[in-house]
Amino acid sequence: MTATASGPGPAPAADGGGAPIADHALIGDTRTAALVASDGSLDWMCLPHFDGEPVFGSLVGGTAAGKFRAGPLRRSPVASRRYRPSTATLETTWTTDQGRLTLTEGMVAELGRYLLPETLVVRRLAAADGPVDVEVDLAPRLGESHRPPVFRHRREGVVLTWGSLALALQSDPVLPPGSGDAATSWRVRVEPGRPLTLVLSTADRQPLVHVDPERAWESLRDDEERWRRWCGHIDTAGIEPRYRAPLVRSLLTLRLLTYSPSGAPVAAPTTSLPEDPGGVRNWDYRFAWPRDASIGIGAFLGVGHVDEARHFLAWLLHASRLARPRLPVLLTLHGRYPRPEHELRGWPGYRSSRPVRVGNGAADQHQLDGYGWVVDAAWLLTRAGVRLDGETWRAVRGFVDEVARRWREPDAGIWEVRDDAAHHVHSKLMAWLALDRGLRIARRRGVPERRRRGWVAEREAIAAEVRTRGFDAGLGAYVRSYGSTELDAAVLVLPLLGLEPPGSPRTRGTIDAIRSRLGAGGPFLYRYPPGSDGLPGGEGAFLPCSFWLVQALAASGRRPEAAELFDELLAWAGPLGLYPEEADPSSGELLGNHPQALTHAAMVQATLALRDSNGLEGSPP
Amino acid sequence: MDWAGWAVFGLIATAALTAVMIAAQLAGLTRLDLPLLLGSVFTGDPDRARVAGFFAHLVVGQGFALGYTAAFALWGRATWWLGMVLGAVHVSVALGAVVPLLAGVHPRLASGRAGPASRATLEPPGLLGLNYGVQTPVGAVVAHLVYGLALGLALGAR
Repeated sequence: MTATASGPGPAPAADGGGAPIADHALIGDTRTAALVASDGSLDWMCLPHFDGEPVFGSLVGGTAAGKFRAGPLRRSPVASRRYRPSTATLETTWTTDQGRLTLTEGMVAELGRYLLPETLVVRRLAAADGPVDVEVDLAPRLGESHRPPVFRHRREGVVLTWGSLALALQSDPVLPPGSGDAATSWRVRVEPGRPLTLVLSTADRQPLVHVDPERAWESLRDDEERWRRWCGHIDTAGIEPRYRAPLVRSLLTLRLLTYSPSGAPVAAPTTSLPEDPGGVRNWDYRFAWPRDASIGIGAFLGVGHVDEARHFLAWLLHASRLARPRLPVLLTLHGRYPRPEHELRGWPGYRSSRPVRVGNGAADQHQLDGYGWVVDAAWLLTRAGVRLDGETWRAVRGFVDEVARRWREPDAGIWEVRDDAAHHVHSKLMAWLALDRGLRIARRRGVPERRRRGWVAEREAIAAEVRTRGFDAGLGAYVRSYGSTELDAAVLVLPLLGLEPPGSPRTRGTIDAIRSRLGAGGPFLYRYPPGSDGLPGGEGAFLPCSFWLVQALAASGRRPEAAELFDELLAWAGPLGLYPEEADPSSGELLGNHPQALTHAAMVQATLALRDSNGLEGSPP
Repeated sequence: MDWAGWAVFGLIATAALTAVMIAAQLAGLTRLDLPLLLGSVFTGDPDRARVAGFFAHLVVGQGFALGYTAAFALWGRATWWLGMVLGAVHVSVALGAVVPLLAGVHPRLASGRAGPASRATLEPPGLLGLNYGVQTPVGAVVAHLVYGLALGLALGAR
């Protein structure tokens, strides 16, 4: 390797729109995560955890918000890009005019009892067919004000500090010291057979741990082996072979988005990737929604990963303790109430999508449907033979009581539309689900007879009211809210609940009406009629809804349609099998925070629905 | 050294501390569940853990009461305010050092370093127990002040 310190290399667009959202791959360690574009630019990473301050924020903050690029010096086409099978390690190969260059990278998730930093990013550049000139540009900036670090070149490598937060870059071979603006930017030549290994260590209120690059590389390889073992325990019996790899990628992504120290599932590792490029629908998803945790429980249970499912429920009940019997809409990764929503001043946003927000104002809403998801998850665990301990059953009973008390009130609904309290049909359906599943658990765990009778009475009252006020005879479908003629794709849960028979005309009518009236072309669905949420601009099709449609079709005896739709959806995944929240139905461009746990959990549920509907064509259960 | 006072009033002070912590928990001020935290050292079943943890906490509380009683004996007097001073020192050490270090020895307490293979199920309390709610330190301080107050008052009256 030969090396010279130099000025900064080519920069992405100043508005942070250098690469499409789907071009970004996820690497992570289950404590935080990073997004890496196909040019080798690490454009997003928060420290010390998912919900910390960004140190690399160019994804939504422009070049001033920091990035860490490692890749060919001159822009070169990507020859191949993939995750190594059943691992979280990313491999990108470019064809340059000098030869091929491969970047292999990941974060070390399992630290064990070794002296390793809590966040350790390992990136290795290897050349083939000739020496290749590469660029390494380490330009971290901390937080909203893009604070530059204090820079020191030490014997162990480059050390960058902001008070108690520090980063260290070590390399093998050693990068030469630079100075001034070029102090952390290098242009070097990588020779075949002599890869350049870069190791980024972090320390927050702790001493920095300098890790020998070869040791870090071994740790990454050990991690790969652990991920392979973890994926090997996924039960794929009965799942069509072509669905297995996408299923494994979705589950692995869900696990990467689960914060191991508390077990909280983070909805997405990013903030403010737009649902409408250039628009205002930019939200912070670095929180945990009980709804997502509950759907995740079903997803992990369905493939035999019972521990992950149990941990989700344990987190959920632990985290919601301070608010009981109310179920918070969303929580921080440690179960705290989120900070107030706040707009980052001067952040240009992804492709000028402003504002860039941190915090999430939906935390104050009353969303009735959340209870249904949670109690259903507890029922799924019970049905799987997991015994709910006394405290857990007490909490679940409290949630069911809360639903019995409050289901007649309007709520904000699953879509968190601000200032839109209404009698949402989906919320009522999920309230029915909470009471029904509560009663099912009670059959095994016992509940006082008076309380049981109360739950039965409220369940029947909801069913009667929804059947009369939530159904539009003209449309032949359940609608978005009482008295409305709008539809809501969330109502696709209908055939999964038990309130209506899956093969009934009402169920079929609802599925067909949603498909035709909310269809956005191809496999895509809008979640509700575009433009009906009071915000300016439009939005994309909501990907989880399409997977819910697969589930609904499969559950109502229409497997061939479900399979056809599912195949189309798989074809629309990002190049690495990742899904954000939405897609532009006209171009297929993937939009919104990325990757999105809810979409991946819905994808897993759809795969399981297809598995479970094998042989049920034309005969709804 | 008042051995009889230590035996009786240590138990009462520990019961008072436990009552304050449980009251704070039930009032929704903190998620800190001391019996569960201590008992899950011995068993992963939360129901059994709470029972085991309750008795473990009585034993631990009795141990600390020995220190308080010894300190009063050295000073030659026991007063409510001396008890509260000891309680303040006690809670500072507990929240600032013992609680954050628990993750290193507790088999079912995750740490900030936990990874995918972690089978620990309890969230780490973090510095001052703040992961269990921002009011956790307040509850803990009040509980320990009550503990010191009870011991100082009871032993001073003998």
